[in-house]
Amino acid sequence: MHRDAEGIVYPDAPFVVDPERVAAFREVFGLTEGVPPTFVTAAEFQVIPLVIADPRVGVDFSRVVHGSQEYAYERPLREGETLTLRARLASIRSKGGSDFLTIETTLTDAEGTVVCTARSVMIERTTP
Amino acid sequence: MHRALGDDRTDHPVTRRAFDGVEVGQELPTLSRVVTREDLFAYGEASGDRNPLHRDDAAAQAAGFPTVIAHGMFTMGHMAACVVAWAGEAAAVERIGAQFRAAVLVGEEVVAGGRVRSVDADARTVTLETWVTVSRDGGTETPVRKGEALVRLR
Repeated sequence: MHRDAEGIVYPDAPFVVDPERVAAFREVFGLTEGVPPTFVTAAEFQVIPLVIADPRVGVDFSRVVHGSQEYAYERPLREGETLTLRARLASIRSKGGSDFLTIETTLTDAEGTVVCTARSVMIERTTP
Repeated sequence: MHRALGDDRTDHPVTRRAFDGVEVGQELPTLSRVVTREDLFAYGEASGDRNPLHRDDAAAQAAGFPTVIAHGMFTMGHMAACVVAWAGEAAAVERIGAQFRAAVLVGEEVVAGGRVRSVDADARTVTLETWVTVSRDGGTETPVRKGEALVRLR
C-alpha cells in the first residue's frame, strides 16, 4: 500500500436510502422498524471497489481483511432521502508487519448536515 | 436470558427503552442465530457485497476456508440487531463500532450480547460493551466481534 495515498478524496456521489433496500436489510436481521444501524455499509460498498482498484493506493486485495468498522449518526437516516456520499482515505499506517488503511465515508444531507460518518479499517498483511 | 430469531417477540418493548432503570453492569438479552447460505445470499443482495467468499464454496476453499464464510458486516449487523432489540428502536443507536477478530463459517451459531459500561444521566445516553461469540472446539466460546455502542434512551 502506498503511504502517500493518505488524504485522497473520491468524487462525491449520490446515495439513496432506498426503502426497498432498507426493508431487505431489516428482513435479514429480523428488525421490524427503522433503518438498521449498519445499513450505511451499502454506501461504503459504492466506494470500496474504487479504492481497491485505485493504482494510487496499490492495495493487494488478496491480502486484505476488514479489521474494524464504526458508524456515528448525527440523526437517523430517513427512508427515501438522497444523501451526498464522500469517501476519504483518512489514514494509512504501518504496524507490526501490516498496513492499516482507514476509509472515512460521510453522508451529507441537502441542508449540509453530515448525517453519518463511517470509518472502515482495512488491514493488509505486508509480511508472510 | 436467551432469545432466538423467530421467537415470539410480543414480550419485547416496541418503544424506546426508558433511561430510568438502566444500570452499569446490566446485561442485554443475547440474540442467537445459525448462519445459513440463504442468509448470506440475502445479505449480499441487500448490502451490495457479492464477494464469492460468501456464496461459493470453491472460492472460499481457494482462500483457505473449509466452506463459505459470513460477511464481516453480516456478523456486525447481527450484533447491531441485539442492541436495537434492547434499545427498542433502531434510531436510538447513535454510534456503533466493532473489531473483527475472526471469520464465521456458514452453519455456525453466532450469539450477540452486551453489557452496560457507563451511563450519562444528563444526556440520557448509555455506552454498551458488545460482542459476538461462536462455540468452537467442543464448546469454547470464541469472540468473533468486540464492539461498543452509544444508545440514546428516553
